[in-house]
Amino acid sequence: MELFSYSLRKLATGIPLIIGVTLVSFLLMVYFGPDKTFELVGKNPTQEQIDEIRAQLGYDQPMVVRYLDYLREIVTLDFGNSESTGERINALLARTIPVSIAVALPGFILGNLLGVGLGLLAAFYRGRWPDKMIMGSAAIGMSISFLIVIIAFQIILSSSYGLNLFPVRGWSVDSFGDYVSYVTVPTLATVFVALGYNTRFYRSVIVEETTRDHVRTARAFGVPSLQLYCKLILKNCLIPIITRIMFSIPFVVISGSLLIESYFGIPGIGKVTYDAIITGDQPILKAVVALTAIMLVVVQLLTDIMYRWVDPRVSLK
Amino acid sequence: MAEPLLRVRDLAIEFDTQYGTVRAVDGVSFDIYPEETVGLVGESGCGKTVTGLSLLGLIPKPPGRIAAGSIEFGGRDLATASEEELRTIRGSEISMIFQEPMTALNPVFTIGNQMADVLARHKGLTDSQARTEAIEMLGRVGIPSPARRVDEYPHQLSGGQRQRVMIAMALSCNPKLLIADEPTTALDVTTQAQVLEQINKLQEEFRMAVILITHDLGVVAETCQRALVMYCGKVAEQAPIEELFAQPRHPYTAGLLSSIPRIREDRPEHLPIIAGRVPDLLHLPAGCRFAARCERALDRCQTEQPELGEKTASAACFNPVPV
Repeated sequence: MELFSYSLRKLATGIPLIIGVTLVSFLLMVYFGPDKTFELVGKNPTQEQIDEIRAQLGYDQPMVVRYLDYLREIVTLDFGNSESTGERINALLARTIPVSIAVALPGFILGNLLGVGLGLLAAFYRGRWPDKMIMGSAAIGMSISFLIVIIAFQIILSSSYGLNLFPVRGWSVDSFGDYVSYVTVPTLATVFVALGYNTRFYRSVIVEETTRDHVRTARAFGVPSLQLYCKLILKNCLIPIITRIMFSIPFVVISGSLLIESYFGIPGIGKVTYDAIITGDQPILKAVVALTAIMLVVVQLLTDIMYRWVDPRVSLK
Repeated sequence: MAEPLLRVRDLAIEFDTQYGTVRAVDGVSFDIYPEETVGLVGESGCGKTVTGLSLLGLIPKPPGRIAAGSIEFGGRDLATASEEELRTIRGSEISMIFQEPMTALNPVFTIGNQMADVLARHKGLTDSQARTEAIEMLGRVGIPSPARRVDEYPHQLSGGQRQRVMIAMALSCNPKLLIADEPTTALDVTTQAQVLEQINKLQEEFRMAVILITHDLGVVAETCQRALVMYCGKVAEQAPIEELFAQPRHPYTAGLLSSIPRIREDRPEHLPIIAGRVPDLLHLPAGCRFAARCERALDRCQTEQPELGEKTASAACFNPVPV
């Protein structure tokens, strides 16, 4: 019951956030955004044709009405049709978001799991050579551009100049085997780039925790190192770890990874968003922005509930 | 006298700092006999806590290390014992409780969970046995309704109760020696007295020796049979309590005793203090470390280091306060 009323209150406080985010993006994308009239009317249009198109696009309405329309779309979760292809936006999202998740998820999970694992190892060997090696590699991984990593991995793993094990581009997945062959190289590239940042972050969180009094107490009562690090210290570190993981979820799900999707020719939401920005396809952008804001509010709520679950000192009030 | 339980000889502990190596403890020797309470007294930074930690191999290394000396306990030398060996001793034969009951317990596990973990590890109890044992121990240290409290988290208890939980955890495996590092410093005066009384009472029940590390001479006077006064990494004086308080031999001990605030008949205008400052561990004087602050210093004190005698009451001083 406490949980339920807390959730309702938390979702209610999320409404101003959603309004703020959508208002700002609405002003930037629509008010200052591109005008698509002359792309659509064809050559030598008459004034009537122009007016007709503008009315279709809703350009003839005052800004307030257009923003309220946007809010109505958010509430009903019906964002209309794409201006470039005419496809229903909901169908478009249903088609591309699962692809993006499927591409991003293995890398996201592996990157965080390995990050926590290496962070624990580095913290355990703090100041000695395993720590120095891990942190050195992390710095190298962080300093190489994502673009170069992608291209290098494609050449090494997917081209006839290299091992030629995986397809370079595309996404025609019918079986689990197909999935693995298409997802491996993007995953390796994502992990390579994200791992450095993750490891550095998790190591610093864990090292900080090792200086706490309760860790000294545990040692004074003979707790073995493995249990000390993997149970006692890790559980105390879960709050920052959960925060970092949860708050990157909306961007993994909704925005996808633009670079991965365009370089591997994967028809995910990141690619669609990128194209919509280039062509000024407002309905798509409006949908993506609104969904990201809603996801953030939901994720915030879930994060709070998870805090309560890992740390008894947190109360949901 | 009986065989000592713990025999520390010429213990030296060093820390690497960015300015050079510091000897936080230098040539400390003492014996602890079964079932006695010994105070380890001194101001902050004198090495008393580091000495306590070293007995369990808890000096953080790096940057610290035991540079010399031996710690004999039950036929082993804890100064050179492996981590594996020390782990079986920690919490079972030697226990330690700490200054900050607020932060010394793990905040995300129940107290029962933390206590049962110690019992399961050292006594090999099953979960339910360990839980029963934990509840019983909580009752013995005076926690009301222990069966309910055992499932609570540390933040749900008061400071005094948390220190009692620490004590219950420390005594749960019948240790022969308890090291109490300023166990009451962070508590209210009334709670302090209760906790000290509890430690004294349990000491008799469990027949263990206690090393009480503190800067509070009042606490020492109330609870200890003997005390070691430490100054700047060395033992300045050791003596039975009555002697130490009635006739301090080392000028530092005498200074400490006269600077305790108390109710006096003739209220002095200023509280007596020990002039000067503790020397920097990086720039120690050649002679006695207290010489620069000492009213009784001789020429010899500037160049030679006085040694602590072997007797139970002795002061490391060339010109001790006359009896």
